[in-house]
Amino acid sequence: MNHFEVFGLAPVLELDVKALEQRHRALSLELHPDRLVAADAKARLSALEKTAALNDAFKVLKDPVRRAFYVLRLKGVDLESEGGAARAAMPMAFLEEVMERRERLEALKARGELAQARALADDVAREQQAALERAKAALTSDDVAEATHQLGRVRYYARFIEEVEAFEEEASS
Amino acid sequence: MAYSEKVIEHYENSRNVGTLDKEDPNVGTGLVGAPACGDLMRLQLKISDDGIVQDAKFKTYGCGSAIASSSLVSEWVKGKSVDEAQTITNKEIARELSLPPVKIHCSVLAEDAIKAAIKDFQEKRAKRQAQAVVAPKAETPAQP
Repeated sequence: MNHFEVFGLAPVLELDVKALEQRHRALSLELHPDRLVAADAKARLSALEKTAALNDAFKVLKDPVRRAFYVLRLKGVDLESEGGAARAAMPMAFLEEVMERRERLEALKARGELAQARALADDVAREQQAALERAKAALTSDDVAEATHQLGRVRYYARFIEEVEAFEEEASS
Repeated sequence: MAYSEKVIEHYENSRNVGTLDKEDPNVGTGLVGAPACGDLMRLQLKISDDGIVQDAKFKTYGCGSAIASSSLVSEWVKGKSVDEAQTITNKEIARELSLPPVKIHCSVLAEDAIKAAIKDFQEKRAKRQAQAVVAPKAETPAQP
């Protein structure tokens, strides 16, 4: 069963997270050990496994970025694995752009320029959002190559933002 | 996850971090990335006209294993011929650093970086040679 099927859903890019949360709670209750005191060991084990699958599915589906990566995976491209195809999908100009941004951030970190680093991260976050929207459009029209490329961008941007967040945390501690 | 001692050693005392002049005709630049983890690695090789790697510099944004892999290859390639450098495989890198299976892709990235840097150098040289053949004709006015 894939993550969508766990919730009785068809693979979709947009979903109501509130409703998903309610469904998650309801399904968790059904599988709760307290309800299975009378059940045999096999049934209890199966309930445990289902709970684990339910929680995994929830974690992925509630997050729009992870959800998009997962829909891409269902279309045959696993960006979590180390496929050469996925690597080749990133254009050189993009890698150069990320490298340049990373170097700029490194210089800002060395000088303790928090505000400027935050401004960089905000720019990147906007581009990440735009790339995610393009990825979703590509997934909808079944353009797997374009979706792979755009989600690759999303991944690099996410790393960049994490780097800024780590810097901010370090500075505030 | 526990890093091996060699990874920690290369991570804490990285060799050859830095940049070489991208415009230098003898410098080849390899820039590679892995969308699976968002790691980015740039390896630059200064290659003499007779094809020996004289210097290597790298810059890697990524995990400890990625940094260690690039630091290691930057040491390995120095003094090697281009042909020898081409033969370095990710397996050798992974073995030297005792990388666990989930970090094998870091060594793949380092191998790719070497190949990309050499390819960039060779393309630059080919372009230069092509220009060298064309240029004199263009510069010399038609002989009587």
